[in-house]
Amino acid sequence: MRRRRRFLDLTFWGLALLAFVCIALPSLSIVGSVIHQAVPVLGWSLFTQRTNALGIENAILGSLLLLVGVLVVAGTIGVAGGVYLAEFAPARLQRFLRFFSDVLAGMPSIVVGYIGYVTLVVAFHWGFSLLAAVVALSVLVLPYIVKTTEVSFRQVPTTLREAAAGLGLPRSKTVWRILLPPAASGVISGLIVALAISTGELAPLLFTAGFSDQNPTLQLLHHQVPYLTSVTFTDLALPGARAHATAAAAAAVSLAIVVILIAAGRLMTVRARRATRGMAL
Amino acid sequence: MTELPSIRVGPSRSPASGPQEDKLPSSEPSVSDPAEVEATHGPSVFRVENLFFYYGDHLALRDITLDIRPREITSLIGPSGCGKTTFIRCLNRLNDLIPGTRLEGRVEFDGESLYGPDVRAIELRRRIGMVFQKPNPFPKSIYENVALAPRMNRMKGNLDDVVEESLVRAALWDEVKDKLRASAFSLSGGQQQRLCIARAIAVRPEVILMDEPCSALDPVATFRIEELMEDLKNDYTIVIVTHNMQQAARVSDRTAFFTVDTSQGGRTGVMVEIGATSKIFTAPSDQRTEDYITGRFG
Amino acid sequence: MTATAERATVPGPPSGLSARARRRSELTGRDVTVSAVLAVAAFVPAAALVWLTYEMAKQAYPAIVFNGWRFFTTKTFTLGNLYGGTPIVHHGYQAAHGAQYGVLPFLFGTVVSSAIAVVVAVPLSVGGALFLADRVPARLQGALGTFLEVLAGIPSVVFGLWGVFTFGPLMSRTGFKWLAALHIPWLSGSPGAGQGLLTASLVLAVMIIPIIASTTRELFRSVPPLTKEGAVALGLTPSETARHVTIPFVRTGILAATILGLGRALGETIAVLIISGNALNIYPHSIFDPFSTMAAGIAAILDGALTDSTGMALHALGEVGLVLLLVTLLANLGGRFLTRRFSVGGLPVGRGI
Repeated sequence: MRRRRRFLDLTFWGLALLAFVCIALPSLSIVGSVIHQAVPVLGWSLFTQRTNALGIENAILGSLLLLVGVLVVAGTIGVAGGVYLAEFAPARLQRFLRFFSDVLAGMPSIVVGYIGYVTLVVAFHWGFSLLAAVVALSVLVLPYIVKTTEVSFRQVPTTLREAAAGLGLPRSKTVWRILLPPAASGVISGLIVALAISTGELAPLLFTAGFSDQNPTLQLLHHQVPYLTSVTFTDLALPGARAHATAAAAAAVSLAIVVILIAAGRLMTVRARRATRGMAL
Repeated sequence: MTELPSIRVGPSRSPASGPQEDKLPSSEPSVSDPAEVEATHGPSVFRVENLFFYYGDHLALRDITLDIRPREITSLIGPSGCGKTTFIRCLNRLNDLIPGTRLEGRVEFDGESLYGPDVRAIELRRRIGMVFQKPNPFPKSIYENVALAPRMNRMKGNLDDVVEESLVRAALWDEVKDKLRASAFSLSGGQQQRLCIARAIAVRPEVILMDEPCSALDPVATFRIEELMEDLKNDYTIVIVTHNMQQAARVSDRTAFFTVDTSQGGRTGVMVEIGATSKIFTAPSDQRTEDYITGRFG
Repeated sequence: MTATAERATVPGPPSGLSARARRRSELTGRDVTVSAVLAVAAFVPAAALVWLTYEMAKQAYPAIVFNGWRFFTTKTFTLGNLYGGTPIVHHGYQAAHGAQYGVLPFLFGTVVSSAIAVVVAVPLSVGGALFLADRVPARLQGALGTFLEVLAGIPSVVFGLWGVFTFGPLMSRTGFKWLAALHIPWLSGSPGAGQGLLTASLVLAVMIIPIIASTTRELFRSVPPLTKEGAVALGLTPSETARHVTIPFVRTGILAATILGLGRALGETIAVLIISGNALNIYPHSIFDPFSTMAAGIAAILDGALTDSTGMALHALGEVGLVLLLVTLLANLGGRFLTRRFSVGGLPVGRGI
């Protein structure tokens, strides 16, 4: 009997280990295969040539430009909205807004792409453009930023709010001067991860950003924007090893950006935890 | 000084037979004991009448009536869960920050209704400082902790002077004058609590509410805070919640005893009696107080 | 003396301030302005959701009228002859000659691929999370959290690339061939180059595993040590503790995490588009056959639909999108209903991280 239980125990943990291997192996395989396929085109020219010359310079610049756009649009709106939910909104309104935000977080990205196309690109006559692409991406990551901001502010101990209220400080100044500094790391970490999500998106951009072999400009309307995920998507469907290698190279670069952003986000989270640790709860 | 315990409202209470004489005519005849209240202290700072407090449907405080006199230390004692903290937070409307709470009855501060429709709670709280159970300095420098509120409230005077004065008053200046720019978290717990007192003083309040200010401190730090309270009493009215009976006996002039009443279902805080500290601790008029003081209960 | 009698004697006006009066008394004029500005921002997600749903319904409306119930019974989705022929007129709306709009093949692909993905992903995620939470030293936990986060952040186009060039071919040479050799109905046939329903479903599973696993890992770690120690004190082995105490303790949470993963699988576009073999109007006769989903179908056909001069093709895709929206919405609401009963807390992971 004891033997049988010991055997079952080992089998159980063996299966759990196997499950973990099944999770870890694909990720290693993904990174390995993407880099392996990209090898033929890896080189300095990848970053200095544009897509019409087998480089991806314009796509990298375009992707970074989109990130800046998302930071400006979704960043400001999301952080402001999160602060409102955490510090100003009446309880019932909080629940209501949070519900909508959570539902929006589950919105399929292709739906956003479709609506972005029929309204922004066509009905508003913006054409395939930076602004249309940024708005579509922003709608997708907005709920995430709102949530992380709200959570970061909620993690600041209530005792600080009470101390500030006890001194008669106005709410807006309490938020800005006393609650923001300890919440900042968490908010920034949320923003960074939102950027990581944006880097990997393609479906909402497919019919809003367009593509161009030229380097992107700061024109908001009527100028198509090249970006990394599009290069991967288009080139892997083209015939020829060279195109496939370029697809993999673009994928590798976007993957690298994602990893760097997530690592930075993690670092900020650790800092955020440290910032609130010393405080009385 | 002898005083009668004022347990319930009612104008029928007999006047205090103390050594002092009435110097001022009574202006508020409906209060429990005008002669007693205004004997030497002028009008009450807080006058609470028939206060009921609810958390949602739960009645947390029932029918509290008491006065807080100026330039005195009034301590609120009682077993845990008796609503002392809830009560003291009614005095600066801090409970308003908790959704779902409700207050009935009348609370007057300096003769004005504290919960009147036109009272701005934030402005009011500048006149009523508060020190909390655990030290809660802002995550900023020592200097900033004290200077923040005066600066934001646009108070007159040199900010450096205000900071120094407040820290001196809070008996912390000598320990921190060389490291004003250091983080407030670098201080010990007792120092942090004195910093919080300095922060409260810097706004120049009329009253300081202290909610178990020493519960998180060691005996030495507790002693320093008690000394400080003795000193502050000359300029401020102090209300202190404490679960430490010795502390109440040591520092306060008047003591109110709260207890938990379960007779009407639920746990509701009620005030049993209020009176001179010496009387409450030596000759309480209510059996429940005596049981608590002598350690038979609580 | 009763409480009511007491209250009746209260002098002066009653002080039970309304929530509104209380708020007013807490905010300065400046606070009110700041609050109003922030409130506008806080309403943007709600407004965006309403706008997206409204626009979707508006775009789909002509197709809804044109198709009627045939939308859910027609087994093909063709745009018809976009360059000639007499347009069909139905209920006052025109469509290209020979056009047939049926959501069934897409609906079938979406439901089946997501179901397979969830069935594969859940046991792996729970097993892996259990291993990570219980068998890995505490100092590695932080790094593992980052690892799962990165995994969840891998762009779907990268999953597509991997699926079509590495994973698909590998499986068709090995696992799929062995499976086909068993001659189980619907699980047999030629795996081909490895593009099709099974590959896409498995890649979807890999995509949603980090979502389910990271949430589940957090849940396992939140189980109070005392609960586990109680079981150990009874003489249960670690695996028995896990099976009878840890997993049941967080069962609802796992269910909620699963539904979040399902939401992601239902809406996934690009990876499926690349790996599915992108076959329109095909009901897979075998699990290896090409297929399509609602999301991938919209992305694949939208280009062609733009050239339909009657505009009905675009509306029909809108109707597909509306169905997708409603299906995802239902899944999310289900998840919310479950999470409300067992609050997972933390961040929404519907978007991948």
